[in-house]
Amino acid sequence: MTSNVRVFAVENKLAQITREPGGRTIENAVRAAETRIESTRGASVAALVEKAEQMTALAAQGRAAGDPAVFDGIYDMSNAIFGIAGAFGLKALADAAFSLCDLADWFRGGEAANWPAIDVHVNGIRLLATLGDKAGAAGAESILEGLRRVRARVLPAT
Amino acid sequence: MSPPFSKSDRVNLSTAEVLLACGDLQGLNIMSEMFAGFGVHTPRRCQTLAECKAAVQERAINLIVVDSALADAEGYDFISWLRRSELDPNSFAPVILATGHTKPSQVFRGRDAGASFVVAKPAAPMVMMQRIIWLMNDQRKFVSSPGYCGPDRRVKALGPPVGMKGRRHDDLSVEVGLAKTPNLEQNEIDALFSPKAVAL
Repeated sequence: MTSNVRVFAVENKLAQITREPGGRTIENAVRAAETRIESTRGASVAALVEKAEQMTALAAQGRAAGDPAVFDGIYDMSNAIFGIAGAFGLKALADAAFSLCDLADWFRGGEAANWPAIDVHVNGIRLLATLGDKAGAAGAESILEGLRRVRARVLPAT
Repeated sequence: MSPPFSKSDRVNLSTAEVLLACGDLQGLNIMSEMFAGFGVHTPRRCQTLAECKAAVQERAINLIVVDSALADAEGYDFISWLRRSELDPNSFAPVILATGHTKPSQVFRGRDAGASFVVAKPAAPMVMMQRIIWLMNDQRKFVSSPGYCGPDRRVKALGPPVGMKGRRHDDLSVEVGLAKTPNLEQNEIDALFSPKAVAL
């Protein structure tokens, strides 16, 4: 061990505080958290639609300008959509956003941009965000299947 | 990974100072609602790296939950900075890194930045609570070195791999030496488990 490496114990203050008398049972705490998150569903779904619209505009701008830096923005927005959709069990939308993250991450790494693949994803996400639960399982699966095929054509197999 | 616990066990986060950071406002709102449900009062909410840095310089924080995407930087940047900030005690505070689009490289990056735990989104409240409970029981030491600063990245305390010499000064050899005292008799072992009345 070199002299500029230090290994030392630290006080676990979180353990002390959380073990103080009072508080909530884990069951109640988790249930309360689930209820509170669910109470934001309306605002969150509205935010998803808004983000999908912003992403559409961003992609159009990026394509027109041919600026690869736009993939950072598309990645961040798609990543945010993935997180919110996942929190509310909107699995198809989360999967579509995750797939777009894969693509944007690939293109921002220096690969030649495939705009049709981006457009298909952006449009699919916008449709899924707008339809919400109305998309239906079959409709959502059909959109996802299309995105999977596009993704498989563009990205190397993992 | 999580220690066994009962749903009837109690957790008191009412006096905990918690910092929640996420670049996306709606994502931050969801995180805030989750921790409000856990009983956290008025967490410090941050969206940018600058806000995060300011928050940890203002007061002692007991738990930090940071998204990998801040509005102007990445969560990894904040964690790396925090660990080397020498802000006692906040530089040693438990940090949960929440990642969305998660590749293995991002998990390693979070770990190497000094995160105590990496949680992949969507993180359901039960998953987040399990991680908090795990951190309550975390006894890992803190490592400060030129290449890494943060909790010991070796979560399991199983010693060095078989056939390799450990690098810790307190690593024990896999060779078990000869007994230096006689083995205990069975009745002596039994006596260790038998409660006995004692006069105090």
